[in-house]
Amino acid sequence: MAKKTYDLLFKLLLIGDSGVGKTCILFRFSDDAFTSTFISTIGIDFKIKTVELRGKKIKLQIWDTAGQERFHTITTSYYRGAMGIMLVYDITNEKSFENIVKWLRNIDEHANEDVEKMILGNKCDMTDKRVVSKERGEAIAVEHSIRFMETSAKSNINIERAFCELAEAILDKTSGREAAENPDRLVVDRRNNEKAPAYKSCCS
Amino acid sequence: MNTDPAMTSKSTTLSSLNSIPTISAAVSSSGLLGSVASDNDMRDGEISLNTIEIVQRKFKDNEKVLSIFEAYQIIGQEHRSRLLALVVSVAGGTYAVFSLATARLPPRNVNDLSIDKIFALNETFQIGSDKKGSISQLQFDLKTADEAAVKYFYYPIISAEGASDFETFHAQIISAKFSMTHSTAATESILSYSWLNDYRQIGEVKQELKRRENEYIVFKDFIVYCGTWNVNNKPYSDSPLHLWLSNGEQPADIYAIALQELDTSAKAITFSENRPDPMWISKMLSSLHKDGEYEELTSVRLVGMMLTIIIRKQLRPYIARCRVKTVARGVFNTLGNKGGVAVSIQLNEGNLCFVNSHLAAHMAFVEARNEDYAGIVRGLVFDDDLKRTINDHDHIFWIGDLNYRIEEPPGLQLPCNRASPNAYDVLMKYDQLRIEMGKGNCFDGYSEGRIKFRPTYKYDVGTDNFDSSEKQRAPAYCDRVLWKGVRIEQLAYNSIMEIRQSDHKPVYAIFRVKIKTKDEKRYKRIHEEVLKLVDKRENENQPQISVDKTVLDFGVVRFNELSVCDFTVSNNCPMPVEFMFKVKDPPLNDICEKWLQVEPRAETLMTDSTKRVRVKLLADVRSITGLLKKIRTTNWKFDFDILILHVKNGPDMFLTVTGEYKPSCFGLSVETLCRTNQPLNTYTQAQVKDLMNDDSPEFRVTMPREFFFLIDYLHKQGNKVEGAFETLEYKHARSLQFNVIRDWLDTWSSEEFPGTPQAAAEALLMLLDLPEKPLLDPFVEDLLQTNTAAEAMELISLLSSPRRNVFVHLCMFLRQGIERQYYNLQHVASVFGRILLRSTAHAGRDFYRETRCRDFMHRFISSDIGGTLSTGIADSSGISGVGGGANGGSSNGGGGGDGSNTARINAIN
Ligand SMILES: Nc1nc2c(ncn2[C@@H]2O[C@H](COP(=O)(O)OP(=O)(O)O)[C@@H](O)[C@H]2O)c(=O)[nH]1
Ligand SMILES: [Mg+2]
Repeated sequence: MAKKTYDLLFKLLLIGDSGVGKTCILFRFSDDAFTSTFISTIGIDFKIKTVELRGKKIKLQIWDTAGQERFHTITTSYYRGAMGIMLVYDITNEKSFENIVKWLRNIDEHANEDVEKMILGNKCDMTDKRVVSKERGEAIAVEHSIRFMETSAKSNINIERAFCELAEAILDKTSGREAAENPDRLVVDRRNNEKAPAYKSCCS
Repeated sequence: MNTDPAMTSKSTTLSSLNSIPTISAAVSSSGLLGSVASDNDMRDGEISLNTIEIVQRKFKDNEKVLSIFEAYQIIGQEHRSRLLALVVSVAGGTYAVFSLATARLPPRNVNDLSIDKIFALNETFQIGSDKKGSISQLQFDLKTADEAAVKYFYYPIISAEGASDFETFHAQIISAKFSMTHSTAATESILSYSWLNDYRQIGEVKQELKRRENEYIVFKDFIVYCGTWNVNNKPYSDSPLHLWLSNGEQPADIYAIALQELDTSAKAITFSENRPDPMWISKMLSSLHKDGEYEELTSVRLVGMMLTIIIRKQLRPYIARCRVKTVARGVFNTLGNKGGVAVSIQLNEGNLCFVNSHLAAHMAFVEARNEDYAGIVRGLVFDDDLKRTINDHDHIFWIGDLNYRIEEPPGLQLPCNRASPNAYDVLMKYDQLRIEMGKGNCFDGYSEGRIKFRPTYKYDVGTDNFDSSEKQRAPAYCDRVLWKGVRIEQLAYNSIMEIRQSDHKPVYAIFRVKIKTKDEKRYKRIHEEVLKLVDKRENENQPQISVDKTVLDFGVVRFNELSVCDFTVSNNCPMPVEFMFKVKDPPLNDICEKWLQVEPRAETLMTDSTKRVRVKLLADVRSITGLLKKIRTTNWKFDFDILILHVKNGPDMFLTVTGEYKPSCFGLSVETLCRTNQPLNTYTQAQVKDLMNDDSPEFRVTMPREFFFLIDYLHKQGNKVEGAFETLEYKHARSLQFNVIRDWLDTWSSEEFPGTPQAAAEALLMLLDLPEKPLLDPFVEDLLQTNTAAEAMELISLLSSPRRNVFVHLCMFLRQGIERQYYNLQHVASVFGRILLRSTAHAGRDFYRETRCRDFMHRFISSDIGGTLSTGIADSSGISGVGGGANGGSSNGGGGGDGSNTARINAIN
């Protein structure tokens, strides 16, 4: 029996310096849990999670990458297949924020041209240790015209929202393409667009 | 529900067979099961269930797993575990064998199971054992009309708790099948396989949602209004149809209006008029209950038969599916003047089927009518995802001119006109339809309400009088409304005397149907839960491996010395795992760098097994160039390589190959060698990296000491150099002895040269051949264009001084050797030509180019053009120094630096 349980499959990639919380973000999103023990990711791991956006079942296949510097070259070879990239820094770690520019350059060099990007300032629960203000995060996002959000994998802030928004942006792109090929679809999509922001329906 | 008595009779049949539990037993125990299964928190809890209980959780409360059997399938090379489960549906009264794929054996919980195949135990079911050409005696096939034969194998030992052995399982299947095919005559009325459709749904999510249906399904009342009228070829005219179609207190939700003998002129029959008649439909639409707003959903017509489905406008969004189908009977079963037309719809979660049929006419043709019925049942297969038949619906309404007559007993005058209810009961005793249904000859499982109206046929048109013509046809209940299915309650059943346009009176029946409907709030919650569960299952069942180390540290790595490092890959997950090293992007196009060898490169690991993987590292003549280039160009911390260990359908792991390369003179450019002020063995990898990246024009010596030592040694060997410089095969380097020469060079040793002149010649070739760039870089291509040595010298004078000096020195040395006939001119020209003018662009051999290289070298080393060299290198002090020096005086290891050899070389400049 066929096993297709979804309408669309989106491949997403999590990148950013080691220790910023990529693995925790993914774990929070897929298993709704958090552990504070740090096990450095040595390789590329993925989890899947199905969300419903605008009545479509979208299977997200999310790839978590090793952030260690020695793996940078090798991880860039995974950028190509990604339709969306989450670029994560740690608001308590200045260096991880400064490196965002480097990661962005990496994306430009190795990812698909039309990849959807989003910057996440993680660990926003740690207010007393904050060194990167939200404004600086927003500024860099505006500068590169990328979506931005502060998140906390620990306190479950904005995690679902971030993934759903990224997925929605990809969906916009894909359905736009579909609509161009098939004008009938446009009507349906436009009607659905008028609904409340889709992340609300998928992220309770 | 009329199926109840039949169900009881079935239980009796079943209990007569001892080998399987009766359905009633299944019912009583399913109550127990239900209480366990409905406890959601426990579903994934740690409570230990035996395998049969785990399998039971894959099914609904009223479906009981009677026994399970462990088998496996061979797909390709792989053995795939299968649990076969014999399952009975209490509602359907039928059995099926499910083949479940299991992630582990025995399964740990219901998440490990997924339904792979379904074999209904219907009349087409077969269990066989064709052992011909089979690898094992322990095997059998299962087959039904819907599933092609599947071969299952089994082991003689059972591992899952509660599983049956083959003989028992086989006997249970046979007796279950027997009990169904040999139960009471009215089989079809009870036996329904439609419950299996829930498991044939595509996708795990849908299957799981179906399984948990009882958690979100509520039953909602809908009023279904069925009407049938044989209009006797009359135009739609001005009949008061509202009398027929607007009865009942509440407005109906769905109308199913069946007409027969619609314009059956000769032309219509011949040309098969199959377009619905819009005049009739608009007439109907204007004659419905005044309190509802209606629209036509669909109409289907076959010659004289038309079935129109009309719904309340607000229901439209809840109609998920609507299909029509016609079956022609009549002459040769093709003409279509008799037969049936049908509509299948899905309203909310309920499947409804409406059939309008016009069966064979005439008193005597009872059997023809029965056959028409059977033919329509057979022929009605809707063109939907599941190819639904009539019986695949929850609610079936069969309406039409069924044409069954009242068989008047001889000599008895039936009370057709009398209005007392009892009179109709008397008539019904002689009604062919009731009689045939009673015998099980037609309409199995259908119900009909009590008839309290006069026969609907045959009237004199325009009157309420039965046929007064010569034929004097006996009155009959030709026009009927029957139903089959669950949760149907008839509210009205009547005919309309006041409509007199036809020789038939129209009939209507009103029903209240409780239709499965999702409670949207609960459904949303459960849908989310199911999505999560299915995702979780997929995430958990992802193949995984572990390795005992992710960093392979080779320690100190030396030129031309093999190092080995092993690691272990383990499979601790419940399924076989395929792992392989991933081929990396171009330019590498391989799983690892040239200096590494990995064995094995791919492997399948069974559960709980391990595999040692051996990684060999060898920086030799083949790979040193690339390795040094990588050291030179790596900006961050240097690793020999990172291997990507890929798990099929799973994650990738990065294995870092590290260590410290102990520098050697081999592979370093002459410039780099001229920057050293100590033997190379005193340098670290990082220091050599800096030396390699140093591009200042300052050099510590005019030419590399290592080069000088070798030439000096060879020069002193006189004619003992037979065979030197004859080929470019590095055969001495393959022996361990060669590494002593390496150390002699890398320590600037003052000892005697520890090898043969041939080995020294080879080491010299290697010194010149292994650097990334050829000695005459960057003028190689330009030099190949020159025709005279003088022309070439202009370019050579532009080379960096170490290159220039090495070249001139080398040529003088070679020329001397050739003059004295120690070396063969042709061989030397060919070998050095290929080395010094090596192309950095193409890797393969190019014989034309090699000829040109040889010719070029020839010009510099043949004795007749000796003058050219000395004029071209006026700044050089000539070769005299080479002859006199000995290795003996050079400094040896450590920072001392300025031994006599070194001093002499410095003097060259
Ligand atoms: N306070 C806090 N700690 C976090 C958060 N996310 C991750 N961490 C911690 O940061 C460390 C690194 O997280 P990890 O997900 O392994 O980082 P990665 O290298 O980017 O995958 C772990 O010790 C986590 O417990 C967060 O949102 N808040
Ligand atoms: Mg990580």
